[in-house]
Amino acid sequence: MRCFALACILASSALTAHATSDDDAWILLQKAAVAAHALNYQGIFVYQAGRQIKSVQITHYFNGKNEFARNVILDGTPREVFSQGGELTILSPRNEKVVIEKRRGQNMFPAILPTNLDAVKESYVLKVGEIERVAGRPTQLLYLTPTDGLRYSYRFWIDAEFGLLLKSVMLNPRQEVMESIGFNQISLLNTVDLDWFQPKIDAKKNYVIEGEADKTIADNAANASWTIKDLPAGYRKVDQMKRMVPGRSQPITHIVFSDGLASVSLFIEPLLKGIKPKSGHKLVGTTSFYAHVIDGYQIIVVGEVPEATVAQVAHAISFKK
Amino acid sequence: MNEQISALIDDEIAVHDAAHLITSVQSNKQANEAWSHYHLIGDAMRGSTIFGPEFKHNLMRKLDTEATVLSPNAALSADKSVNSRPTFKNQIPASWSIAASCAAVMVVGWMAINQQTQTGNELAPVEVAQTIPAEYLMAHQSSVPTASTYYIQSVNYSE
Repeated sequence: MRCFALACILASSALTAHATSDDDAWILLQKAAVAAHALNYQGIFVYQAGRQIKSVQITHYFNGKNEFARNVILDGTPREVFSQGGELTILSPRNEKVVIEKRRGQNMFPAILPTNLDAVKESYVLKVGEIERVAGRPTQLLYLTPTDGLRYSYRFWIDAEFGLLLKSVMLNPRQEVMESIGFNQISLLNTVDLDWFQPKIDAKKNYVIEGEADKTIADNAANASWTIKDLPAGYRKVDQMKRMVPGRSQPITHIVFSDGLASVSLFIEPLLKGIKPKSGHKLVGTTSFYAHVIDGYQIIVVGEVPEATVAQVAHAISFKK
Repeated sequence: MNEQISALIDDEIAVHDAAHLITSVQSNKQANEAWSHYHLIGDAMRGSTIFGPEFKHNLMRKLDTEATVLSPNAALSADKSVNSRPTFKNQIPASWSIAASCAAVMVVGWMAINQQTQTGNELAPVEVAQTIPAEYLMAHQSSVPTASTYYIQSVNYSE
């Protein structure tokens, strides 16, 4: 593995010593959160959720100011996801077309940990585990366990030398793996050019921009006819917007809550004539879903959290009479 | 050929060395398409302002400055009679289709605003959810802080 200056700086600090106390564990997790953004690396990781398994090649580069990442999905449809600053560009082949989508930036593996872990500390405890080998590298295993039943637990394998998160597993309370994502192979990248930051072009296909797919409007919640109280412990509102969804003629309200790791979406829409009200709850893969109707509004809650959490979010809303 | 076109766009081939490329872009349909694809991809990846948050604003401003053709059929039939002119559609295809779809969205939006919401005593029968409706799942996945769903072929592609 070639050594890059930044990696040396990171590695030379407390990181090289294996975590022994719980405080050390939080420091190590903090390093992992930063390392995923600050290091230059290239590797192949495998994402697995339920019966879905995909290999992904990632190249990540940070020039001290901006981050560039290219994710190429190696199995099935050859989708590519480019991340630059706060923006994602996704190229997905669909039949004889390639659709280019622009999205707001999101945290993607291995950069899935928030750099501010205060919210996480409130709802989870972190324990130091064994030294294990992942992708040919020695790693420190950390156990992140929730203090209640409103979120799942995680295991993180962190490169003992460079602090990069090499593997992450999410488990339900029965200790069954819900989602697993981890490197098979990883190397630090010694590069200054961005030759790799471009898509593989299929000259036989038409490239089209998907414009309206992810249309959102900022919503400052002024004049809202509803209030939210008694959210599940540890969850806070992190975003609110109005968005168009297919099959709806009016934008619907979308509020996002997070406990630092897990996220829940709440959708509120007036029940228009001709729209069938939905009710019930469902767990599909890692995603819980809860629908019910209050005072002529359809409430839908979706999140990678236990069912109790989506139910509690759905009932946290009340409408002003 | 396509690699060369890409290189030309990326300034890796000097324009004065690329006369043959430019000729083929002008004459060859495939080369011409490749030329526009590379430009489109380049614009999208560079975060061209065309697709920025002001997109709609700019579009509406552009529409305002455009002459209103009250009788497009008349314009088209007039067009047919003058064969030497390129077709109307080829002249301003983008603004026409965008203007039309934008108008359609506005009409639908206006109709929706004028629709009444269901009142308590005439609620439709409640549907018990069997699956997670794709539109909400998609919206959730595209807005949460952390995303792992780009790796799997998500439910969203109905095409």
